[in-house]
Amino acid sequence: MSSLSLSEKEAIILENDSDPRRILNMLIAIQYASEEGFIDEETAKLVADRLHLSEARVYEILSFYAILKTEPQAKYVLKICNSTPCLFTGGEMLSEVLEMILEVPADQPTPDGLFMYHSIPCIGACDQGPVIKIKDTVFGELTEAKVYQLIDDLKCGCYQEL
Amino acid sequence: MIERNKPVLLARINKMKQVTDVEEYQKYNGFSGLLEAIKMEKERILDELDLAHLRGRGGAAFPLGKKWRHLYGAKGDTKYIVCNADEGEPGTFKDKALLEQDPLSVIEGMVIAGYLFSAKAGYIYIRGEYRRIQKIFQEALDNAEKAGFLGENIVGIQGFNYTITIISGAGAYVCGENSALLNSIEGKTGRPRVKPPHLADVGLYLQPTLVNNVESFASIPVILREGGQAYRDLGTEDGGGTKLICLSGHVKNRGLYEVNLGTPLQEILYSEEYGGGTATGRPLKFIHFGGQSGPIGAVENLDDCIYSYEGLWDNDLSIGSGAIVVMDDQVSIVDYLVNVAAFFAHESCGKCTPCRLGTTRILELLTKFNTQTAVSGDLERLRKMLTHVTNLSACGLGQSVANPMRSGLTYFPKEFEAGIREAVAPIKGGFW
Ligand code: SF4
Ligand code: FES
Repeated sequence: MSSLSLSEKEAIILENDSDPRRILNMLIAIQYASEEGFIDEETAKLVADRLHLSEARVYEILSFYAILKTEPQAKYVLKICNSTPCLFTGGEMLSEVLEMILEVPADQPTPDGLFMYHSIPCIGACDQGPVIKIKDTVFGELTEAKVYQLIDDLKCGCYQEL
Repeated sequence: MIERNKPVLLARINKMKQVTDVEEYQKYNGFSGLLEAIKMEKERILDELDLAHLRGRGGAAFPLGKKWRHLYGAKGDTKYIVCNADEGEPGTFKDKALLEQDPLSVIEGMVIAGYLFSAKAGYIYIRGEYRRIQKIFQEALDNAEKAGFLGENIVGIQGFNYTITIISGAGAYVCGENSALLNSIEGKTGRPRVKPPHLADVGLYLQPTLVNNVESFASIPVILREGGQAYRDLGTEDGGGTKLICLSGHVKNRGLYEVNLGTPLQEILYSEEYGGGTATGRPLKFIHFGGQSGPIGAVENLDDCIYSYEGLWDNDLSIGSGAIVVMDDQVSIVDYLVNVAAFFAHESCGKCTPCRLGTTRILELLTKFNTQTAVSGDLERLRKMLTHVTNLSACGLGQSVANPMRSGLTYFPKEFEAGIREAVAPIKGGFW
């Protein structure tokens, strides 16, 4: 399932001193490092166990915070900013263009498992909108043509680090 | 010396070669605010803060001096310092700049608070979307500790032991609300608490707690270094200092700027130094101030408006977070507000019914106006719903949802009326 080994996950938990206050730091770090970009049951159990929390508590947290996912994600998850500064400076077309290129609705992975897209609120790059964020990388001042190019580039493996 | 029309909070930015390096930071006045503070009587620190008349930069604009005095007088041996760095307010990207490019200034402000309140532990809650910045900030914390500005016996003062821990958010706008943020730090889900009690009396782990925004903390060292009066002189009577503003939308020069409170709004919108006027060639129509829950102003009414706390209040506006989202005349106010309402319907934490259902009802009603399917009576329904949500919601999120909608109704009533489907009218005249 998840690409992290047990010891790698444990290392992340220890880095955060097994401190329950830093549960979000841990869950995000584990999720970002995992191949499928989500917290699977095994991981949730592990975190609950190491932090002396009930599994239900961990799941409550997983379902409350938007960044955390409990379902496998595509390799590249394109997060479109849909807050008003971006939306009214050209952002309205982003999801339409992506739907056209990828031929799937929002939140559904493409059949090859490569792409997925959905909207999120402002990520603090409003002076460069409209923007798409993939993991920790932001692509700004997007136009329709640039979105086509971005998808092509991603397919060609231009962004190894993502 | 600090002067008007010169960067104060952004003074070091783009000058330091290594933003997390303590020596570099000290080259540009870094930590001199703290070194001044420890020479003063604690009461004197509070006096300087009062004199500075710094209003909290997170959005609520509460006088910081008063807040700090309240905590100073609060009973309890353990006091906590918390920095709210959950910047998720659409149109706002100023805390990000400080955290990323001058993290030590935020740390210095938090250390001064630690000193004043004899706190042992400080926390900074940084939003999950700023993961890279969390790393930079951690590096700055480590460097500060190595240099003796954090950890044990700070700056050589026996028993001045204080640490700062980074807590990550994970994408919940409501955690920007201070009590929700404390719940989130405690490892609970980030839903707001019922207030009172005041967080200064019953905060983190039920202990007295100070919660301030990033920009507020970064302003503290400046005040103690330069004196409260000098800081106040940078601004106006009702609010001292400079303000970081975030210009976005249809102005030519979108971006982050630092202005003296008291700068004419027209200058901010049109001068080349700041906004540079329209980016689209179309006239500018309205401005959304201070975040999604902030009020909206019509540009044509704001010729003489001064960008200061009182200057905006006089126009039923407010500074909020410092966001200035400018829209041109091709944007319909109703369409704009539909998207604002969608944001709130999505971010309502669901704890109380008036906000959970109310935000959805507001969105539905606005959508009707936007698709010209509203019926007569919907305007009244919308107004009532706005009042309900404002009066009955438990936290600041729900209580302030109605602000932009109310401004829209006040300044652009025709656009709402245009969304009302005409009633089916009987044929007049003649007998049937
Ligand atoms: S007002 Fe809204 S966000 Fe605040 S507690 Fe109630 S439901 Fe949650
Ligand atoms: S509105 Fe899109 S990044 Fe802020």
